[in-house]
This record gives sequence, C-alpha cells and structure tokens, in this order.
Amino acid sequence: MFKKALLLGIVSGLLAGIAGVIYARIYYSANEADFSKVVSTVHIVAASLFGGVLAAIGYTVLDKLLKANGEIVFNFIFTILSFASLLLPIGHRFSPPIDTPELFPGMVIPMHFFPALGWYTLKPLFIKK
Amino acid sequence: MNKYIAPLTALLLLAGSAFAFIAAQSWQIADSYSIAFSSDDAGGVFKGFKGAIAFDEQNPAASRFDVTIDAATINTGNGLQNKHAKSDEWFDVAKYPQIHFQSKNITKAANGYQVTGDLTLHGVTKTITFPFTFKKTGAGGLFVASFTVNRNDYKLGKPGKDVGEDIKLDISVPVTK
Repeated sequence: MFKKALLLGIVSGLLAGIAGVIYARIYYSANEADFSKVVSTVHIVAASLFGGVLAAIGYTVLDKLLKANGEIVFNFIFTILSFASLLLPIGHRFSPPIDTPELFPGMVIPMHFFPALGWYTLKPLFIKK
Repeated sequence: MNKYIAPLTALLLLAGSAFAFIAAQSWQIADSYSIAFSSDDAGGVFKGFKGAIAFDEQNPAASRFDVTIDAATINTGNGLQNKHAKSDEWFDVAKYPQIHFQSKNITKAANGYQVTGDLTLHGVTKTITFPFTFKKTGAGGLFVASFTVNRNDYKLGKPGKDVGEDIKLDISVPVTK
C-alpha cells in the first residue's frame, strides 16, 4: 500500500509543481509582479513534492489505523491543512520589503491546493479499492 | 574725511550681511535613498521621498532641509499590513498624504551634525532634534541619520498594543550636485 501511495504522492506532487510553475509564469505576465527571486521554480516543485510525499505518509498511516474510514478522514485532513496553510502566504512579511507584496498571496494561494487536487484526481489510477 | 565714514560703514555692513545670506550648496536626492523604520513588531520602508536639500559642511547654519515623504508609499513587506498602515487608525494617508520635515537649525556636533526642525506626521507637528552625518563621495555626498520618534506624539495607532511606541528611523540619502 505504501509503495502505491508514495508513487501517487510523488507523481501528484510533481504534477502540482509543474502546474504551479506554469501558473506562476502566467501570474507574472498578467500582473507584472515578479516574485521569482522569492519563490523560484525549485521552491515551487520542492514544496509540491513535499506536500505529495507527506500526503502519502498520512494516507498510509490513516488507512492502517482507521481501515475503512481512513480515506474519509485523510481527505478531510488534507483539505483542511491545505486551507490552513493559506495563513502562511497571507501573513508572510518580506524583509527587506519587496514591491507590491499585496500581490504575493494571490500568486501562492492557488498553489497550496495543487497537491490536493493532484492527489484526488490521480488517486483512482493508483489505488483501487 | 568724516563724510566718508558713514557711507563706508554702510557699504561694509551691506557686504557683510550679504555673506550671511550666501546660500548653501543645493543637492539633488538620488533614487537610491532608503527611509527605513522599525519597531518591536513592525518595520518597513517609505518611498516617495523628495524635497530641497541645501547643505554646506563649512556653514551648517546656512543649510536647510525641506523634505517630504509620500505616506502612501509605506511598505511593510506584507500587503495586509500595508493596507492597515494606510488606514485611518495609523497614517490615514487619505487625510494626511505627506510626512513633512522642515529644518530650523543645523549645527555641528561631535560626530557629525545635528538638525532641529518641525516634523509633521499624521497632521501633528512637533519639533525634533536628531544627529546626522554627511560624507562626500566624489561629486556627491551621503547623508545618514538614525533616530527614534514616539508614535504616540503623532497619534499614530493606539497607545500600547503590539507595535512598539518607539519607532526607529534609519535614513540614508545619497545626493548629487
């Protein structure tokens, strides 16, 4: 089970990272707000991969502990954590200050949902119950 | 001979007093200036700094600073904090768009100079005194100052709360002739 979940976490994390990089590029050109020095391509892919692998560990643990209810609880926790993580970009303070910090949450917030979206979308392909 | 004394005295007085009004060197503010502020909980920078700087190292008494900062250019590094800082609880930039400093007296001090002048902030004018240094750099120069103002003196924010009452200002202003 863990192997499948880990593979799903890695693939969904990588896809979320790629989606995040594309979104960041679109955001830069649409708003002329370049945060690439603060959030680089490597940062985006690494953070998404981290989210995916963490989800795989959490899924496996909850599946073992709660059996049939494990997936339900996992989905709730994954979604709640994705929402809770929005506080990080909203509260982030750049020091030294950068231009247009108010545009930063707009770029990062959607990315916080990409690992969860990737996981929920790809899960039926990797884990069939 | 006596008839020349009065006109000569008048001429000497005129010439002497004219020297007292010789304007100090005018300086242009370069774009790379830095107006930074910090306290216990908040910090950031201001942009939109402009004004007239007349300064002569040899004659600080004839020197003048008359500068303004666009209060709406406050940048704390966080969008929500910026919005809050511009609101009527803090700088109220809609009502008080400018921070203004006008010098009244500049004197030499042990480690540089000292300026006394009126700081108008949030609609409140207070006379403050702070030290600064001036260093010539080629054809230009660099003014550096670091001092503290109490935000309560200017009715900025509510007394107490999270943000410290003493706000430290670190100013670095490169100038060109």
